[in-house]
Amino acid sequence: MKNEFKNKTMRDSFFDRLYELAKEDKNLYLISADMGAPSLDKFRKDLKKQFINVGIAEENMVLVATGLSLCGKKAYIYAIMPFVTSRCYEMLKVDLSLMNIPVTAIGVGAGFGYDDSGPTHHCTEDITIMRVLPNFHIFSPSDSFMAYKFAEITYKLKSPSYIRLDRKILPQLYNEKNDFSDGLSILKEGKDFYIIGTGNMTHRAIEVSEELEKYRINAGVIDLYRIKPINEKLLTKTVKNAKGIITIEEHLLAGGMGSAVIEVLVDNGINLPVKRFGVKDKYLYAYGGRENIQKICGLDKNSVVKGILEWSKKI
Amino acid sequence: MKKNYKKYEEKARYLRRKVLEMCVKAGTGHVTSSFSCVEILVALYYGGILKYNPKNPKWEKRDRFILSKGQASPILYVILADLGFFPISACDKFCCADGMFGVHLQNDVPGVEITTGSLGHGLGIGAGMAYIAKEEKKDWFVFVLLGDGELYEGSVWESALFVSHHKLNNLVAIVDRNWLCVTDFTENIVKLEPIEEKWESYGWETKRIDGHNFEEIFDALKGVKERQTEKPLVIVANTIKGKGVSFMENKILWHGIAPKGKEAEKAIKELK
Repeated sequence: MKNEFKNKTMRDSFFDRLYELAKEDKNLYLISADMGAPSLDKFRKDLKKQFINVGIAEENMVLVATGLSLCGKKAYIYAIMPFVTSRCYEMLKVDLSLMNIPVTAIGVGAGFGYDDSGPTHHCTEDITIMRVLPNFHIFSPSDSFMAYKFAEITYKLKSPSYIRLDRKILPQLYNEKNDFSDGLSILKEGKDFYIIGTGNMTHRAIEVSEELEKYRINAGVIDLYRIKPINEKLLTKTVKNAKGIITIEEHLLAGGMGSAVIEVLVDNGINLPVKRFGVKDKYLYAYGGRENIQKICGLDKNSVVKGILEWSKKI
Repeated sequence: MKKNYKKYEEKARYLRRKVLEMCVKAGTGHVTSSFSCVEILVALYYGGILKYNPKNPKWEKRDRFILSKGQASPILYVILADLGFFPISACDKFCCADGMFGVHLQNDVPGVEITTGSLGHGLGIGAGMAYIAKEEKKDWFVFVLLGDGELYEGSVWESALFVSHHKLNNLVAIVDRNWLCVTDFTENIVKLEPIEEKWESYGWETKRIDGHNFEEIFDALKGVKERQTEKPLVIVANTIKGKGVSFMENKILWHGIAPKGKEAEKAIKELK
């Protein structure tokens, strides 16, 4: 296969596909809160009429997008993740969620993606706050090809959506054979446990699973790339015979992806031990690279493996 | 020669009475917030300003009227019913389990463009609509009615910048300047005046009128769709919260409630 996504960020992959779609559809608009990207330059240049920069005014960005949508346009809004979620949250609730307006919010910088920028730019609560909004779809890609395809998927949706893009280039997992309609993918079957990851932590789940083999633990890996709605049927069918579930997210534990998984298990009567790895109720002024911040939070490979080994002895 | 606005005044009186009856029956609703903007809405809906079609609420060529101060929903619901967007009987079921609508404005009611109730949303959404109308050379207009207390919301000013930057002179904002918020007069809470200077510094043309005087309202709205300036227009309309019922006028404590018992009878009597 062509490896055009191997060295491309999620953001550039997403915008490249959006550019193609916008060239075909003059009703597609992209609104930025003064955020750029190399791939956005051609959008701005070639599709001038379909690009609006509202300035650093995220609330107004949602409002203008709502107005556009009510005039039959497909609007995308774009900012760094905290600013396209918590900053304008009430607009997302009242205007997009409540009125079911099919605007797509594009956030870049999942988790500690903006590692050197500090906690104002980290985004570790978006899953929690976005998944409670009715009508919203939430996409959490784990590679750039997936991000590319999510441009198409969100384009067709008749309800609001939110896509959380990682800032960094992640190893490629998928190709044209995948259409991402399932909402999750089983990257590896497991006999003992299933490790569920999302976004960049899907890759951590793969590493951890490989490491666990050394301890004769066979852990499957699930990439939960659509956090809302969760494909409950496929998820429960996959994990029901395992001995336990592990979730890993670069996100606060309260209400995050792991919580969403637990809700699915409980609602479906699946009584399995669950171990969640994530950020424990704190914001961090921590630097020295993303991996260092992950280490502080116990999200590095060794900490997770250690945590699983200890937990597995108790269950 | 002074024009005769009697039919509008009669309509305003009738609508106030309907609002009052509706809210008294339900035991809730923002009566006073509705009463401050009755004349403005009568001029827009009955005075030939707004284009609309009750038989086809989503008519593409309609003007978009956005009631950003969604708490004044009773007056808009009564007007829409009176114009035939839906049966007037719907107003008898205001806030009822089998009714169509409640205290704040909702977009699934025929003739209502957007859900409001939380403040600071209408101008920006109207801006998005006006942006498209301008781009596509549509001849419909966007009218947004804001409360004066709503001007405290920062999003209003984000949107105000956007509207003037994009020269959206196909959008008209009207501020219902009734001087009152929930707990106090605006100038005691945090000063809003001078309001015109604020909008002007944001690139808007301003007009200040008496929002209960039809002559002034129509004068302000006259030619509003043929303006030559690129600047958007904001009309600051001085009004009285609770206008029409003597004991409810300009009183802090009447925010968001409907009169009960003898007070209700007295209020209805004043509007007959």
